Amino acid sequence: MNISLFLQTIIGGIGIGSLYALIALGYSMVYRSMGLVNFAQGSIYMVGTYFGIIWYMGMVMGLHVPYPVALVIGILLNAVLGVLLERVFRPLAKLDLMFMLLGTIGLGFVLDNLFIIIFGAEGFAVDSPLPNAPLEILGVKVLPQMLLLIGGSALLMIGLQVFLKRTRSGKAMRASAMDNEIASAMGIPVNRMNALTLAIGSGLAAAAGILAAPIVYVNPAMGSAVGLKGFAAAILGGLGSIPGAIAGGLLFGVLEAVSAGYISSSYTRGIAFLIMVVVLMVKPSGIVGEVTVEKV
Amino acid sequence: MSYPAAGSARKRLTIAKALALVVVGCVLLAFPFIAQNRYQVHIINMAGIYILISLGLNIAMGYAGQFNLAMGALWGVGAYTAAILNTKLGVPFWLNLPASMVVAGLMGAIVGLPSFKVRSHYLAIVTIGLGEVINIILVNEQRLTGGADGISRIQMPSLFGFPINTDERYYYLILAVVLLGFFVARQILRHRIGRSFRAIRDDCQAAKAMGVNTAYYQILAFVISAAYAGAAGALFAHLNTYISPDIFEFSSTLFIMTMTMVGGMGSLVGSIVGGLALPVLQEYLRVIRNWQLVVYGISIMIVVLFIPGGVMELMRRLKSSRSLRWLWSSHSEEETFQPEETNVPGN
Amino acid sequence: MFLEIEGLTMQFGGLSALKDVSLFVREGEIHGLIGPNGSGKTTTFNVISGYYKPSGGKISFQRRNITGLPAYRITATGFARTFQNLRLFKSMTVLENVLVGMGHLAKTGLWQEILNPIAVRREEKGFVQKAMKLLELLGIANLAEFPATSLSYGHQRRVEIARALGTDPKILLLDEPAAGLNEVESEDLRETLVKIRESGVTIFLIEHDMKLVMGMCDVITVLDYGRKIAEGSCEHVSSDPVVIEAYLGKEEHP
Repeated sequence: MNISLFLQTIIGGIGIGSLYALIALGYSMVYRSMGLVNFAQGSIYMVGTYFGIIWYMGMVMGLHVPYPVALVIGILLNAVLGVLLERVFRPLAKLDLMFMLLGTIGLGFVLDNLFIIIFGAEGFAVDSPLPNAPLEILGVKVLPQMLLLIGGSALLMIGLQVFLKRTRSGKAMRASAMDNEIASAMGIPVNRMNALTLAIGSGLAAAAGILAAPIVYVNPAMGSAVGLKGFAAAILGGLGSIPGAIAGGLLFGVLEAVSAGYISSSYTRGIAFLIMVVVLMVKPSGIVGEVTVEKV
Repeated sequence: MSYPAAGSARKRLTIAKALALVVVGCVLLAFPFIAQNRYQVHIINMAGIYILISLGLNIAMGYAGQFNLAMGALWGVGAYTAAILNTKLGVPFWLNLPASMVVAGLMGAIVGLPSFKVRSHYLAIVTIGLGEVINIILVNEQRLTGGADGISRIQMPSLFGFPINTDERYYYLILAVVLLGFFVARQILRHRIGRSFRAIRDDCQAAKAMGVNTAYYQILAFVISAAYAGAAGALFAHLNTYISPDIFEFSSTLFIMTMTMVGGMGSLVGSIVGGLALPVLQEYLRVIRNWQLVVYGISIMIVVLFIPGGVMELMRRLKSSRSLRWLWSSHSEEETFQPEETNVPGN
Repeated sequence: MFLEIEGLTMQFGGLSALKDVSLFVREGEIHGLIGPNGSGKTTTFNVISGYYKPSGGKISFQRRNITGLPAYRITATGFARTFQNLRLFKSMTVLENVLVGMGHLAKTGLWQEILNPIAVRREEKGFVQKAMKLLELLGIANLAEFPATSLSYGHQRRVEIARALGTDPKILLLDEPAAGLNEVESEDLRETLVKIRESGVTIFLIEHDMKLVMGMCDVITVLDYGRKIAEGSCEHVSSDPVVIEAYLGKEEHP
């Protein structure tokens, strides 16, 4: 077996897996703090990508904003979107799963199609901010952009952990997520914490999309496929668990890459889903384990 | 507790109901002649097919509480079974219909297996995932399914030599199957099976304590819903004469879920209402193209947030609202039940 | 022996909920299971009725080993139970709740439901009659068509019992049937339970209401911290120092 090809495949898998992981984090964090399964997460990812990329690609008044700046703008704008969406999600979170799903899916439809109306259904390719030539590390060819995606995602995930464990807001968020009622009794504004969670989840999704944009084709439909897989990854790791989301996302990505490279590219998606089903049958609460919330 | 005028009010109500049924029956039978053009009949034909799938989804999800989100894919399984049998082996529609139901039913059982181990959130994604797997197989098994190109030149059915080759004639076929499907569903859900389903949905543990073999009934719910989807698939394949995998993607499952919810999850009549309303509405909204889906999305959210029980709930609310009571009773006390009975001691 | 439990042990992770509990219930008895909170009474019921697989021990009913059988099979063997916190089927009427339990007695299968509606309807009529008789026994026949959860608490408790009886049991496990009932209702409950026993159903109940327990039970088993600490007639148990200590000890050392 060709080792360097295998490593290349794995790295590609980690790259895509990082994307899934960031999206899965959004699902798990929101589920944990609000008890909401947010099927609009894929659309939020798409919206966030556009929010950043349009500045970078000179689509806003011809300005060509440097990539890192565009990344930050995209994250911030999407975070604002997340805060606004908290109002909509509040009533949805109280509903039965079936209605919650459909309600968030409806929201996703609205976002997807608004962007089709604004930007057209045709997507576009994004120029890479880094040189295109693949780097060679230990005999393995890697695209610089892939490294950027993996590195950037890792930094964000570490940043998230630091925020949650070390800062006051982070700890307040965790308290609120564990038990709404007690947190509320302690003076923690639950709704604001939820808005913060959504802001972070949306921001991460935007980052994922902007980092991945030069690799992935950008168009308004990019959200639905990724959204579903991100959800599957979150469930695979255990819905509500942050390490679970990361593990699930990475695993899903690697599984996809390996099956695309070695088994059959056309059955890729099917195999990844199938493995998720099998894992859930064996350990119904996911790899790391489900974390639920005590709702008020 | 006597209501002097109750008798005549009730009689008026039954006469009104009977009259309404007769009118509806006439409209149903005469529809292809009333319709303005063939396209309208085709829309209603498609609505009929969707109603059938929606009935299936309602049985599994509305009554038994089982998240079967692979309905679109199961519809596809039914359609492809009929298509393959017909184009490769020349099997006629009348045999394909039961064949599709059986094959889809078996697939439904497989899709339903995880329901023993996995709870609702997870069951939802698992059935979506399994549905995806089915769809991917349909796209990839070129030799069997024609891959992304699909299967064409499926023959339209004929009844003892009388060809059912127009939308108008096909309408009666669909009407018959839908009516049959509706009444069979009603019959099944009326007695033991329906109660066991609802018991599982209300409280699975308590159901087990009452002797309900929950595993059996859960799989049964999946199989029955899949059989309905399968029948719809056969009907669709022979109507459209061409099928391709993209028709049965997850978006179709969403469409069916939406119509079932809008009509009223947990009510068979709701499936009919939703199954008729949504495809028809979709046609009217087609003019605004992309805004169509935005409107669609917003409407879903409104229904979910304000009228989760769908049209049937709306009707129930209207029925018990005081302002409209004059429509059907002269005595305002008649339809309210009084659950007082606070502390009635003894026998 | 009717119901025989030998050496029952139940562990949840590191926690031992039941330790080597043995007891037997004779046919036609009204057998009480008492003990301070957390002594493992409901756990015992949950194991017997098949929700938990015991970590050790054996449960036999009418000399057949039923240890580890799934809950619905145990019901089919002749057990019925009620729950501490009412678990009625909220979407159903009182009558429908009772009818659910009769499903496992039905002789008509799926195909008959579709193809032979007449036989099904006949069987259903039989079931409805049986159900109405049960509701009459519990004094709530006039509430048959009401949504089960719209009734008062006391009435809902009766529906629970009627529903359990609908499964045609030989032995009825009642988990705190008097919880939340006032004096009058408790007395009615006692009368009803005596009537049920007279109709041939053995009763095994968990209760905190000592008046009810002492006034009705033939035999009482006492648990504490997952172990059996006493057993015998009401007089014997109520004067047993070990039992008194177990209850008092809980009060003095919270």
